[in-house]
Amino acid sequence: MEATSLAILCLLAERPSEAPRLGKLLSDVQLADGSWPSFVGDRESSWTTALAVCALNSVNDPSKARERGESWLLRTKGREGHWFWRWKFKTADRNVQFDPDKYGWPWISGSASWVIPTAFSIIAIEQFTVCNRSEESEKRIHLGVEMLLDRACVDGGWNSGNSLVYGVPLRPHVEATAIALLALQDEQRTEMIQKSLSWLRQNAASVDSVSSLAWCILTLFVYQEPIGGLKNRLATIIGNGRDIRNNATLATAILALKCGEMIHPFEVLR
Amino acid sequence: MKLDRRRFLGSSVGVAATAGVTAEWVWPKHTVSYRRPRSAVAVLNAAEYSVRIEALLLDGLRLFRLPVLGRSILLKPNLVEDLPGPVNTNSALIGAAARCFLRLGAVRVVIGEGPGHQRDTELVVQAAGLKPHLAERQIEFVDLNRDELRKVKLKANYSGLGELWLPSAVLESDFVVSMPKVKTHHWAGVTLSLKNMFGVVPGMKYGWPKNLLHWSGIHESILDICATVPIHFVIADGITAMEGNGPLQGSPRQLGKIVLADDPVAADATCARLMGFDPLRVRHLSEGGHFLGNLREDRIRMLAEEVGAPTRPFSVLPEFRYLLAVKG
Repeated sequence: MEATSLAILCLLAERPSEAPRLGKLLSDVQLADGSWPSFVGDRESSWTTALAVCALNSVNDPSKARERGESWLLRTKGREGHWFWRWKFKTADRNVQFDPDKYGWPWISGSASWVIPTAFSIIAIEQFTVCNRSEESEKRIHLGVEMLLDRACVDGGWNSGNSLVYGVPLRPHVEATAIALLALQDEQRTEMIQKSLSWLRQNAASVDSVSSLAWCILTLFVYQEPIGGLKNRLATIIGNGRDIRNNATLATAILALKCGEMIHPFEVLR
Repeated sequence: MKLDRRRFLGSSVGVAATAGVTAEWVWPKHTVSYRRPRSAVAVLNAAEYSVRIEALLLDGLRLFRLPVLGRSILLKPNLVEDLPGPVNTNSALIGAAARCFLRLGAVRVVIGEGPGHQRDTELVVQAAGLKPHLAERQIEFVDLNRDELRKVKLKANYSGLGELWLPSAVLESDFVVSMPKVKTHHWAGVTLSLKNMFGVVPGMKYGWPKNLLHWSGIHESILDICATVPIHFVIADGITAMEGNGPLQGSPRQLGKIVLADDPVAADATCARLMGFDPLRVRHLSEGGHFLGNLREDRIRMLAEEVGAPTRPFSVLPEFRYLLAVKG
């Protein structure tokens, strides 16, 4: 569903008139509880629900699919959202240092909160509720933002969600940093956000893998940083695109190359 | 009959033990056994990752008379992160292994990995220096995090997971070669050929990291995965290994060994001994010794160098000091 949601965002830019059909593609595979699975054929809810809601936000889907998706997101939390695990992480299990009171969203149910699912869930809810935000939505967005800031690496940036293990700082990842910053686009530019942005800008200049570079472009654009040179480099790396075997990566690359020429799919417009 | 406290306790222990044995008999923890009467291991000396590795490896592999003619081989290295230091299986060894299997008659070699934390697999492959080794026509890389998936019932039941979605590239392979980097691990104690198989579990379904496996128990998940995806051969990269706070932040440790084995438990037990650890104290190894392979030294035939105790055991985090073998 990750690839499908991202591909829908690309196709929408090319063929806006196809929006209803593209929206139906997603709503047809929505699970009964309002979520989406990792892939068609699976019956388990997953983080891709956030991406599907983002895609439906862009399609401006009039069906109830988006609402049900958002409602699932509001009900879903990482495992540390339960008091017992919060207590365990506070008292007995301190090898990974984080504040378990600040939780977000998991990849699949039964796992803890992680950076990328939390970031996309924040974006999905912010976009969907931009005109009419309930107290419940506001609360979850706030908690998710707090979780992201708590899990930031010591010198800025994010990895999957472990900043300190056994007291040793772990290194950030380009893709996770870019996606976390996208989710924090509406937040005050605190020192941590500035440091992370600076880390991303620096790493974007040298990263040569398609996915990481594409996410850099999508994020730096939202933060009004220059992206022309990065787009040229991405276009050179991709060539005719035949070597990219992962459709999610291909779709992200196309979105990055079209950045500035279309409505940004992960921007929260006001 | 009067039941005093000692007799009561004795009877209770007896009942509990009988219940345990009965439960194991009625609901066995594993439905397969790959253990053979004897396993073979060869420890090769290699001081560095040089061009001579391929010839050394080919000679080592020939000791085993492997049934790879006309078969499709899956090499499963340990590619974790785009970090400096001995974090990943060295690409020179992976490339050499791929070419050796082709020279031994394999029709195709797939190098497959699904990194556990870094979603951008291309970045890890680039950083590990693997790209130049993929130039040969019959060698390809498959991102196991994003391959086609099939739901599979697990052949052991330690974790309670019951089933997992696994990549087609793994399930369709004729011959699985686990190629771990010899490292300490801050959750599992060690990461060797068995723990390396966490990388076949797809991130696309289970996320980055594959957190469900941790919640279900690391040792338990290792046993379930390795019962379901049998490892046919091991090539462990212990030339420059990692000690201390592995698998990412430890220190390099020059061990100068490549460990080959036709049994993953025998391979890991040998690596553990080379690290100065008692393999019986690694939970997934001691349990795996009942059905995944041979742990005991008298069941392991050494084809090349014998395993001597290291002059200095690998350093470990305080939580893992219990792994250290008692001298003498």
